[in-house]
Amino acid sequence: MAKDTGKGMRLRMILVMLFMTLVCMGVLIYRLSVLQITGGQEYQQRAVAQQMRSVSINANRGTIYDRNGKELATSATVWNVILVPAYIEDEEVEPIAAGLAEILGKEKDEIAARCANKERYYELVGNKVEEETAQKVLALAEQLGTKGITLEEDTKRYYPYGDLAAQVLGFTGSENKGAYGIEAYYEETLAGTPGRKVSAQNAMGTDLDFQYKELYEAKEGNSLVLTIDETIQHYLEKHLETAVIEHNVKNGAAGIIMDANTCEVLAMATAPDFDPNKPLELGDPNKQAQLELLEEDSEEYNEFLRQAQYDQWRNKVISDPYEPGSVFKIVTAATALENGVASLNDTFECTGSTTVSGNRFGCWKAAGHGVQTFTQAIENSCNPAFIAIGARIGGADFYEAFERYGLAEPTGIDLPGEADNAGLVQSYTNLTKEGGVELASTSFGQTFKVSALQLCTAVCASVNGGTLYQPYIVKQVLDPEGNVISTTQPEAKRQVISEETSETIRYLTEMVVKEGSGRNATIPGYRIGGKTGTSEKIDLLIQTGRDENILSFVGIAPADDPQIVCLIMLDEPTLENAFGSTIAAPVVGAVLSEVLPYLGIDPEYSDEELANMDITVGNYVGMVPHDAQAALTQKTLKARIIGDGGTVIAQVPSSGEDIPRGGTVVLYTDQLSQEDTVVVPGVIGMSGAEANRTIVNAGLNIKVKGVDTELPGAVAVRQSPAEGESVPPGTIITVDFLDLTTDG
Amino acid sequence: MGLFKNKKEGQPLQAEKGTVDSSFLVLVLIVLTCGLVMMFSASYAYAYYYFDNSFHFITRQLFFAVLGVFVMMVVSFVDYHVLHRFVVPVMAVTVVLLVVVLFMPEINYVHRWINLGFTTFQPSEFAKFSVVLSFAHLISVNYSRMKTFKYGILPFALILGVFAVLLMLEPHLSATVLICLIGAVMMFVGGSNLKWFALVAAVGVAGLALAAMNEDIIAYATSRFAYWLDPFSDPQGKGYQTLQSLYAIASGGLLGLGIGQSRQKYLYLPEPQNDFVFAVVCEELGFVGAVFIILLFALLIWRGFAIAAKARDRFGSMLAVGLTTQLGLQVILNIAVVTNTIPNTGISMPFFSYGGTALVMLLAQMGVVLSVSRQSSLPKE
Repeated sequence: MAKDTGKGMRLRMILVMLFMTLVCMGVLIYRLSVLQITGGQEYQQRAVAQQMRSVSINANRGTIYDRNGKELATSATVWNVILVPAYIEDEEVEPIAAGLAEILGKEKDEIAARCANKERYYELVGNKVEEETAQKVLALAEQLGTKGITLEEDTKRYYPYGDLAAQVLGFTGSENKGAYGIEAYYEETLAGTPGRKVSAQNAMGTDLDFQYKELYEAKEGNSLVLTIDETIQHYLEKHLETAVIEHNVKNGAAGIIMDANTCEVLAMATAPDFDPNKPLELGDPNKQAQLELLEEDSEEYNEFLRQAQYDQWRNKVISDPYEPGSVFKIVTAATALENGVASLNDTFECTGSTTVSGNRFGCWKAAGHGVQTFTQAIENSCNPAFIAIGARIGGADFYEAFERYGLAEPTGIDLPGEADNAGLVQSYTNLTKEGGVELASTSFGQTFKVSALQLCTAVCASVNGGTLYQPYIVKQVLDPEGNVISTTQPEAKRQVISEETSETIRYLTEMVVKEGSGRNATIPGYRIGGKTGTSEKIDLLIQTGRDENILSFVGIAPADDPQIVCLIMLDEPTLENAFGSTIAAPVVGAVLSEVLPYLGIDPEYSDEELANMDITVGNYVGMVPHDAQAALTQKTLKARIIGDGGTVIAQVPSSGEDIPRGGTVVLYTDQLSQEDTVVVPGVIGMSGAEANRTIVNAGLNIKVKGVDTELPGAVAVRQSPAEGESVPPGTIITVDFLDLTTDG
Repeated sequence: MGLFKNKKEGQPLQAEKGTVDSSFLVLVLIVLTCGLVMMFSASYAYAYYYFDNSFHFITRQLFFAVLGVFVMMVVSFVDYHVLHRFVVPVMAVTVVLLVVVLFMPEINYVHRWINLGFTTFQPSEFAKFSVVLSFAHLISVNYSRMKTFKYGILPFALILGVFAVLLMLEPHLSATVLICLIGAVMMFVGGSNLKWFALVAAVGVAGLALAAMNEDIIAYATSRFAYWLDPFSDPQGKGYQTLQSLYAIASGGLLGLGIGQSRQKYLYLPEPQNDFVFAVVCEELGFVGAVFIILLFALLIWRGFAIAAKARDRFGSMLAVGLTTQLGLQVILNIAVVTNTIPNTGISMPFFSYGGTALVMLLAQMGVVLSVSRQSSLPKE
């Protein structure tokens, strides 16, 4: 039975079998060949994309050092606290939230809410916490035995000196990227190369240890050594800040100290400043107070805050060109002398004003200076005389001088945000115009704008022998091991005037301080050169009707062999009849009186100055701090200003007391700081020099009695007040000396 | 293999003289071994992650494999003719199970599993065997009348109709399709009149359409269809499994990443030990390995049909045809799903996918085929 019908059935079986094995399986094999051999690239890439996680490893950012190796900006390891809600059991939420809330100082509910989404593997709850906090978090996680809390390494930027050189250093923003200042300009140098960890992970984001993994180590960033000197920067900032307070400077102040012979920037400051550790907080208490008057998070509030932040981050020295006023007369004078159109004995008459093509230009001294020599004209800072000098130079040569001094283009310093003042200086056409009105105003430093940096660079060239240098602020680049990769060499741009002319300018600027408007910058024992500047903000007057001034002073020291040039400008101080001579000069004098000894430049006193060793202290209560300091400096005494006020309210020692030359008078500007005391050190048994050093180092004054302390056997035998007493700083300690080598 | 040559003939419930088809047996054991190895590899990470034990699945599967081989060998000694007596009980039990399963708790919105406590069990697996058995019985009994509608079409259509409706109530589209295809192949081989075939096909389609009147079923089927055409339309949702499978297959390339080296099995591919185990095979063994596995199955199908062709009688022949066809269709449909050649349906890969009862059942069915082969050398009835 099977045999007769078997054939048909067998045929049908063969058909079915062939259909399944050849047709169906053939189709599947073809399909596989397409997916696996010819056309699977896209799927393959997508597979790799989802399996491979590339995790960035932060590179440690390089350190920023001052010229002496002090760390101005440094990076440290911090930790991010991450929640992994997918690994958090429901009953763990409560203890985790409570524990973290306490450690991180956050709301418990907020943390609990972050635990809620079980599909998440990354919830950042603690951003950049310190090692100590991280340890606490770790302990908590261990104690709870949870897999739901992890730590992630990160780095944070620290500025150990707080607001020191804030606008110069800048700060880092999100992802540790340089946002302002050197941090931004040298971003590539400092940043290093982030490493990457490429690893295969499972769909839950866990590394597959035994699978593909590649690690590219992070390369640490290079470090920078600045030309800035932390100590000099500190002096400059301290006096700038005091100046802003004492003269109620409305629009901030800028100061710069340069090495006269290289144009290295030793200090560069803008006041008020901010703390780059907290760049978003307002550093200026006035602005903060204004901000607090506004409704928080209102549109005005945010706008005010944004503007205030932007303002405080601005490096005024390079970003805010201003009318230099009479300080610029140094350039006018140098050009006239160099071009041979004037000599020191040429005379100029000043009647209090002069008229150029119908425009009247008044002198600051309405009565006029009368007939004066070139030297006297610059001592007097006489405008009509300089208008005449400018006219002798002529528009074409004047314009050429502008270019030669580098005043018509940015200096190219290695800092971001340098203003391009090309459109703010008088054009060639304007200067050579018939009538010479623009030439006249330019001659005494008005109707054009340059930055403090440009002006200071030009002054350096005028006094250093005539060479214009490229200013710079980064001295060296170091690799992470501290090896020097590159060193910036001073770069002479061009010779702008001859050595002879430069020598003459040195003489003239010294005369300004000795005999002329710069007297308030005098420091006994030192030869100081300088030039005052008072400029009207004419554009502001035209635009808003507000009559405001910029007062400035440039100091050159020592005047016979310039080492440093210090330029300070105060933008909109509020004092009636204020001049650069009375306000800015003492600030520069105060700065120099501290910087010069620090630089190892010792005072050389004249015989007259040496004659009286003990100095009688005057009365300084009621004065503004810098005037008091200037007065003390001229008495060859030092001043130490304590407090945040704008007026001296007390002094130690008091008026009429005698202290030795070089002694310190402490000036208090607010009540609070008067409570400061120092402990009197013991000096009995010490030699004269030892006793002096010990007492001065303690911030006190010494008054010597008894034998001449120069005698080899002179020893201190008595002191008053006694050792261990608490007294205000500056208190006079009377010490009796006996010569113990001479037998009774 | 002349071990049983001297046994007495004609005794029911005892093996007839003759030897099993050794190449079929060897192929089954080779495929089973490959399947176990690859299931272990595919399930390794999943088991580790969800059960803290990489051996979670393989230990269970090994136990059932050993049990299954034992069952297969025992069954191969049983004279398959005894199955004639079981046709009605098996049918009855199947219907009961298919009804009972509808009252089981939903898993993933469908009622497909009966929980026996120590394992779960799909009545649809049993229904497949039921169809093969009943069809083989009917064809062998009514062979001479297969051209008629009454004997060649009607009983088959009734059985398929009842099963199909019950399965669609679960709903279980893939099992329905599979059972219909197995039935159709057996009817075709058994000699049903092809003109009736067209009619039955039309009725079957109508039946499916009727079942599809159920909105749930429409939604269920059409969504699978939509994501078949463009899995990227919902890469994280409905298209996810298909895409992950394609990623795995494409990652394998020509020669594969090497055994154990699949990356997709690390929780990307959902439940890699189940329906999509072949994707991991493709990823680890590449095109070459995948084709090798397919060829093994092709040989198995060839041997199955060879056994059917040489069978002592029509019942044995149709049993072998039905069981081999079931195996072949599952392999083809599974690979078609894994490669997204057809829409994603729940069809497991014989010998490869995890599932204890299914494996034992499959091996028992292979035992039936072996039992058929054992009598092929005997004179035809």
